[in-house]
Amino acid sequence: MSQAVFNPFAAAQGQFDRIADLMGLDQSARDLLRRPIHEHHFAIPIRMDDRRVRIFDGFRIVHNDARGPAWGGVRFHPQETPDTLRALAMWMTWKTAIVNIPLGGSMGGVVCDPHDLSRWEQEALCRAWVRRLARDLGPERDVVAPDIMTHGRHMVWMLDEFEAVYGGHRPGAITGKPVYAGGSQGRAEAAGYGLVYTLREALKELSLAPDRAVASVQGFGTVGQHAIDLLIRIGGTVRSVACLDRSSHAPATVIRQGGVDLEELRTFADPFGSIDCEKAQSAGYEIKDGEAWLAEPVDILIPAALENQINDFNVQAVAPSVKLIVEGANGPTSETAEATLQARGVTVIPDLLANAGGVLCSYFEQIQAASNQYWTLAEVMSRLDHQLTSAFFEVGELSRTKGLTLRDAALVLGIDRVVSVSTDRGWV
Amino acid sequence: MKEVPLFSRSEVVDRPAVTRIGGGSLGGKAAGLYLIQEEIIPLIDADEILGFSVGVPPMVVLGTDVFDRFMDDNKLWNLIASEPPDDHVALAFQRGEMPVEYVGDLWALIEGMTTPLAVRSSSRLEDDLDHPFAGVYATKMVPNNAFSADQRFCLLIEAIKFVWASTFFASARSAVAAAGKMPQDEKMAVILQEVVGQRAGDRFYPCVSGVGRTYNFYPSGAAQASDGVINLALGLGRTIVDGGRSWGFSPALPKAPPPFNSVGELLKNTQIRFWAVNMGPAEVPDPLRETEYLVEAGLADAEADGALRLLVSTYDAGSDRLDPGLGRHGPRALTFAPLVASRMIPFSDLMRQMLDASRKVLDQDVEIEFAVRLDRQHGLPADVGFLQVRPMRVVTEGIEVDEAVLDDPRVVIASTHVLGNGVQDGIRDVVFLDPDSFDPETTFEVAAELEGINRRLVAEGRPYILVGFGRWGTSDARQGIPVTWGQISGAKIIVEATLPEVNTDLSQGSHFFHNVLGFRILYLSVEHDGPRPIDWAWLRSCPRIPGTERVIHVRIDHPLEVRVDGRNMRGVILR
Repeated sequence: MSQAVFNPFAAAQGQFDRIADLMGLDQSARDLLRRPIHEHHFAIPIRMDDRRVRIFDGFRIVHNDARGPAWGGVRFHPQETPDTLRALAMWMTWKTAIVNIPLGGSMGGVVCDPHDLSRWEQEALCRAWVRRLARDLGPERDVVAPDIMTHGRHMVWMLDEFEAVYGGHRPGAITGKPVYAGGSQGRAEAAGYGLVYTLREALKELSLAPDRAVASVQGFGTVGQHAIDLLIRIGGTVRSVACLDRSSHAPATVIRQGGVDLEELRTFADPFGSIDCEKAQSAGYEIKDGEAWLAEPVDILIPAALENQINDFNVQAVAPSVKLIVEGANGPTSETAEATLQARGVTVIPDLLANAGGVLCSYFEQIQAASNQYWTLAEVMSRLDHQLTSAFFEVGELSRTKGLTLRDAALVLGIDRVVSVSTDRGWV
Repeated sequence: MKEVPLFSRSEVVDRPAVTRIGGGSLGGKAAGLYLIQEEIIPLIDADEILGFSVGVPPMVVLGTDVFDRFMDDNKLWNLIASEPPDDHVALAFQRGEMPVEYVGDLWALIEGMTTPLAVRSSSRLEDDLDHPFAGVYATKMVPNNAFSADQRFCLLIEAIKFVWASTFFASARSAVAAAGKMPQDEKMAVILQEVVGQRAGDRFYPCVSGVGRTYNFYPSGAAQASDGVINLALGLGRTIVDGGRSWGFSPALPKAPPPFNSVGELLKNTQIRFWAVNMGPAEVPDPLRETEYLVEAGLADAEADGALRLLVSTYDAGSDRLDPGLGRHGPRALTFAPLVASRMIPFSDLMRQMLDASRKVLDQDVEIEFAVRLDRQHGLPADVGFLQVRPMRVVTEGIEVDEAVLDDPRVVIASTHVLGNGVQDGIRDVVFLDPDSFDPETTFEVAAELEGINRRLVAEGRPYILVGFGRWGTSDARQGIPVTWGQISGAKIIVEATLPEVNTDLSQGSHFFHNVLGFRILYLSVEHDGPRPIDWAWLRSCPRIPGTERVIHVRIDHPLEVRVDGRNMRGVILR
């Protein structure tokens, strides 16, 4: 999973500049939207289990909140950088606008590897991160959600700390909580299922029946697992899954020609989505290197791990049979790689649309928290499916009428909505 | 016939009349509706029925794959294996999660729709000629008029789950077992169909609903059996299919006098209550009840709604006769005379066309269901919702029973009013109600006891003769025994006897009647004051199987001999 020297924020700004040119945006709008409106960078001292104090770097970046309170994940990752978070916050602004919910975009993180932290150290880190930001968080300011290597349990610690600081219940401040702690049904499934809802609509346009579609997936985290789940449920086959090996932490691809068995793979995986490749091999799976998932002779690629995973260095490895790429991760396809794929006739459903299920479900969680309601899984998923499919139709329509790629059409739709509100507010 | 098209969210408003969500089978009823849409309706000559527009009301079918997924996801097969009571089944299904891959389509459907919906069963076994499960499974009507799409969606999901749950209610399990099938053999598709009707206040209902048959088992006057018969009712068709009072006539002789001896008898035996969808708040919200959103009303309510102008006659005490219409004050009788006998409204022609076209396409005798939305003032224009077509068994071959046999000294029961043809020689069990202790106020309790006996006898593989009073399978508990088909599914011979206070005929339009024919049940009707009463003394003297209070179960040491000759209308049970 190559990271090379890719700078996500530079890429996000370049992307914005290109769309701004396309839309003919005025300079004030460009100046406002090509950078975050505010950033927090802070040190987090944590007393570790061995009683030594270790300092972690923490961040929260709000890109824009013209359409409503900012919303964004918090990730624990050893390679985290402010530029990555800036890019993700910007993309979140566009994403909430594309699916047309009244939220802005933000992103946060801590540079750490939770694999190396005990439960108590992770809890202390969550609480300290919230304490440093408490004044600027909340359902009317900036809403937090889980992201890479953070889960429901982390969200409960964060909510508990936030409510302790605030002095009352504010369940809408932190989303992605477990259902028993005020979370929404379907939160875990939302991003992965949402991805497949858009994939399903794209298959209709490609006249490819789901039961004849074969996919290769990168990432076996929450998004990847649930995307595999729903894709299999609608009749599809997932031939290969790229992941980290549970013992070596090295990238690997787990392959079974007739299709992977999701439940079986889950028994080999840890909570972070790393798979014990030795056990998988014993169960009859073929194990290849971490780049092999790209070259599998499939119809669909689903990159659902990290940024910049399909790039200039490996785009030629993408199998000729691939017709569709559905981005489960944020920014997994570089701009130039996408152009190459476009020239080959490959359709790319952009992350801004394909992985918007998570933010939609968090929005639903906020509604439920605000109105003290409980929705069933069917209610959540029906709204999710309906809203994402509607967004897919809108983006598709714009793409066809303006002759744009799906990504550019999505960006035009989202940026236009943000600019409109910013203009009405008198910000630009 | 081409495949039913998939439901498309981009065509919610202008979608084809019949679409589907999910794969698998569509079930018997939905397949019949598609046949109506594609092959039967095109045969109807619009020029002969000017003013009527005939169509299948817009519908979406959830295929059996959706049912399978729901059962698997929620691990409901394990629950079903333990045969829990109906309310436990219904509750477990309500708690189950709908499969996520289908809910988006359902949301899109309901978001753009605010007319009442009928959520109808369409099982794999339903409407099969050899295993006609008519009325065995539930249909739930939902008003679908909440302002919030969220609320409409939730009520729709509840209704779908209820219909799925009805696949495994005790009566349905008995019916499936009696057909020699296992519960796992059954799969349930669900039809979501717009209800035909008009709103009046908090009620929504069609002016006319009906059941038509191409073969009339009880022709009267100059009518021939092959002319067929139409049964009409005001309001939802539930009145007819549940065996309530309806108006029957021959479409070949729509002006023929009704088969009643007097106006008084007519007034006593015509429909006075009707069913409608309740568009107001449910009196007692209960997702486990089939009639949660239904309301029963009387003729005065319908008159206030303006629905009766073309449907009733009014009794004139001075002349002791009925005058068509609402022209004078007096008791109203639902004779449908202004509609059926009108020269201006080609209603009988419409009925004939629908029956003829259906018989032609299915190439056999058929039963159809329909509902009509009339212009309440002028009659026309009118929309006819073609709601069902199913094959109908008419047995013409068989045995002959000589008239002399009716007076054989071994006769226990003899009848000159029978259905079916055949001989049954191996039956030793008789389940009957005693005329001396029968209380028409306790017919629901009787139905419950019958269900227990039936379940036991079906499990033991013992067919039996069932003898009771009034109309079997009626929804009106004072007219007969309100059993569902599954509660007596093991009966091979059914005897309908009358008592002075219980004296009604079997309704040809009912689901019960359809199942009697379809399962080749031999059916005998005996009048209490006829020339050959039932030998109650002999039945009472037979060895009893204990354990019931209102129903007597006897097991005779030798098999009884049953012979029924439907062509000559003779039947006997000999000891």
